Amino acid sequence: MAAAAAAAGGVPSQQCFLLSVTGQVESARLAGADQLYCRYQLHGGPDWDIVTGLEEGISQVSRPSQDARQLLVWNLPVEVSYKATNPYGWPQLIVSCYGPDLFGNDVIRGYGVSHLPTAAGAHRVTLPLFVPESTSQLQKLVSWFTGRRPELADASSLATGDGRDVMRVRSQGYVTCSFQVVTKDLQRLGYDNGRRAPAGAAGGDLQPAGGGDGRPG
Amino acid sequence: MVRGKDSSSAEVHFIGQIVSGSGFSDSQLFCRWSIQTGGAWHHVEGLKEGQTHADCPQLGQAAIWCHPVDVHYTIKGITGWPKLVVQVYSLDGFGRFDICGYGFCNLPSSPGAHSIDCVIWRPTGSLRDEFRQQFVGGGPQLRDPQLVYTSLDRYRIQTTAMGTVHVQISVILRNFARYGIEY
Repeated sequence: MAAAAAAAGGVPSQQCFLLSVTGQVESARLAGADQLYCRYQLHGGPDWDIVTGLEEGISQVSRPSQDARQLLVWNLPVEVSYKATNPYGWPQLIVSCYGPDLFGNDVIRGYGVSHLPTAAGAHRVTLPLFVPESTSQLQKLVSWFTGRRPELADASSLATGDGRDVMRVRSQGYVTCSFQVVTKDLQRLGYDNGRRAPAGAAGGDLQPAGGGDGRPG
Repeated sequence: MVRGKDSSSAEVHFIGQIVSGSGFSDSQLFCRWSIQTGGAWHHVEGLKEGQTHADCPQLGQAAIWCHPVDVHYTIKGITGWPKLVVQVYSLDGFGRFDICGYGFCNLPSSPGAHSIDCVIWRPTGSLRDEFRQQFVGGGPQLRDPQLVYTSLDRYRIQTTAMGTVHVQISVILRNFARYGIEY
């Protein structure tokens, strides 16, 4: 579901910064999971627009390795570029892991959520997984039989942090992701995210202006 | 929709998560958090308080919350740098909750990604109160939650240590150099 850039409602590109993330959902470790596939979603705030890339994806079904690591490997690429005017609403990656239960129904095995890294460079992120639980024992028994476990209607609601107080969860396992992050014009707009630009960097567009003189924008 | 923003004021963004709580002896834990600032800080957008879900971890593991924190402030002075104040509660099988501990930590003042451990403590009563709390629950609670992040009147209470809350916060500053703020 790639969203092409709007010409951003008249906001000149000098007020926008770009965030480009290329990474992958590498692997997961989850005890007791025989097969697992994952779905990722990216959720950004109202001031963020996707320029290129997909904001959702589904992986292949993976089985754990036969060695002591018991690692489930997906190697699922996540590549997205954002254009934004405001670091508020920094995009978050939400991973939902599904697998079959005893009767073969696809049930949710865990959710993980994390912000994309806020500084350029290479990052390795571990997302602990948690799965919603029924509050009563009877409900747990019924959902075990019918295969309809409690599940979030919209996983991207995990990104807002609202309404979580009514959830009860059980945490188990984690997902490992790695990202390479490049930003543009964050420093030119006055932001400091702890990452100093290399010496000799100047602001401006990569394409020279119409007169061909290449002056900074 | 991408909105334009004016770029003249000094701004601070805190972007991160309340990740987990470890070292607690109770099992179903949730956390209520809030961010307290001084008067020079103007809150622009983002939730500055909230409550996490209740997690029941595996034996010996940390309670995972992964609760997003994304707040945007503009500042008129450097005093009153924000503090993150947390209260950890435990749920029992009947749906009742009981205070597990209080704690606060200072949000980082330098840009970049930070990992913070927030120590948690709980007020204790007399020996009789502790004994009763083991069976019935409902130990002493702070009447004024401001005591968690201020230093007045602390000498009146006795506390015991509980676990630790782990927070990951990235700080982005804007226009600090223009106003001569060194960090």
